[in-house]
Amino acid sequence: MSIFCGIDVGSLTAQAVLVADDERLVGWRSMRVRPNPIDSAREVTDSLLEAHGLERGGLGSTVATGYGRQQIVEQGLADGNLSEISCHGAGAQRVLPGVRTIIDIGGQDAKVIRVNDRGEIVDFVMNDKCASGTGRFLEVMSRTLGVELSRLGELALGARETIELSSRCSIFCETEVLHGLQRGADRAGLAAGITRAIGERAAALARRLGVEEEITMTGGVAKNAGVRAEIERLLALRLADCPVDPQIVGALGAAVLARRGAR
Amino acid sequence: MITLGCDVGSLFTKAVLLCDGELAASAIIETTGTIAAELPGFIEDLLARGQVARGQVEAIAATGRGGSLAGEADFVEEEMACVGVAVRHLMREVDRVVEIGGQSISAMLLDPDGDLLDFVRNDKCASGSGRFLEVMSDALGIPIGELDEHAARASRDTPLSSQCGVFVESEVITHLNAGEDPADIAAGLCDAVARIIVSQAKRLSEQAPYTLTGGVARIQGVVRRVQRRLSGEYRAFPKDPALAAALGAALLAAE
Repeated sequence: MSIFCGIDVGSLTAQAVLVADDERLVGWRSMRVRPNPIDSAREVTDSLLEAHGLERGGLGSTVATGYGRQQIVEQGLADGNLSEISCHGAGAQRVLPGVRTIIDIGGQDAKVIRVNDRGEIVDFVMNDKCASGTGRFLEVMSRTLGVELSRLGELALGARETIELSSRCSIFCETEVLHGLQRGADRAGLAAGITRAIGERAAALARRLGVEEEITMTGGVAKNAGVRAEIERLLALRLADCPVDPQIVGALGAAVLARRGAR
Repeated sequence: MITLGCDVGSLFTKAVLLCDGELAASAIIETTGTIAAELPGFIEDLLARGQVARGQVEAIAATGRGGSLAGEADFVEEEMACVGVAVRHLMREVDRVVEIGGQSISAMLLDPDGDLLDFVRNDKCASGSGRFLEVMSDALGIPIGELDEHAARASRDTPLSSQCGVFVESEVITHLNAGEDPADIAAGLCDAVARIIVSQAKRLSEQAPYTLTGGVARIQGVVRRVQRRLSGEYRAFPKDPALAAALGAALLAAE
């Protein structure tokens, strides 16, 4: 039996995933990125391979995606590289065979991807020009609010009312949240305003492309229950739960495509 | 005739005292959350500096994002209209103006009377605004007032590729951590702002003579890079460019 590896270096975290011949998930690792994507790729794969008693040379093949994916190949850490969009599509379809639309919100971009029944890309839209609507927005806002990023979603869901942010720009929103805190505004209400803002960006992106169900969410922001609830409310539909950690879907897709490429 | 113009901007509040069309005195303070309460004292100080009694002032006009907070004003005028009037009053030959405010950037095309023929304005996003530079100077650890002297001794403009302030901030921090000379990053920031100004200005005209107003136009590193990138003749605003809107308000108050 051969093992195939996928590596996804994001702006905030890096993931490595192993799959078997039958595309079954064997194991995965996630870590905070290093300044250099090659170091991130090497560390996260080494740690994963070691945990499974494997060596790089013993792998069937490896595909890299995300930041520095070409250099990762040039450094001999992967055999090939593919776009994040292809990998997220393949990864999501692997764990949710009926999925047709994927909202992927990463650290520095947001994408909506439509796939066919084989996980191939039909169409996509993307925002990588502006932090509003990305994980970076949530990170900046939770810091301003003085709340752990991992707690922001729960806090927002418990709010009695949503204090809406009037700006789109992350920098202006930061000022709004600060002024709100100075006025003594309810922290949970501000958290709800923050998750609504990012939900609105994602819903607008999804409407631009057109949504076909089943729809799911991947990327780190998919872990935020407040954002998920806002997107479900705004698009008036249910997001299918991603059966694996939504942050590893890109790397999983890379591993699956490594397996398919080897066939 | 004595009039007063007060521009309550998002970051700074500016006021000018105008005596028979001449700028007699001016003042600038930071716009805080309590600016409405501070304005009467601010205006009093300006009058004292200009050696003018309150009763001698015939009209007060306010402008800017917080213009309506100036309770003493006889009327409030739109900011771009004020800038247009100020530019036309001082510069007969300039038809194109880019006003870089604390939270906005507006490019304007003026007719011979200083009225707006056309404009494009971005106040949705901090990109290129005074707030943008504040965030960057914080990240860089160089006060805005010192950006120029650092940029002047740069050996190159550090390339900054993003438009979004949050992403540029990350780029600045990454460059600092990588050991890049802060002077080069300061120069790169001037160039980033200049590119945004130029792209706005070009949307209105490719050739018209132009000037720059607003606080950011004080930064020569930005102005020089705009000149390098933008065709059409550049003319420097003959007064402190941060005062343009307040000056225009005072001129309109005199009409």
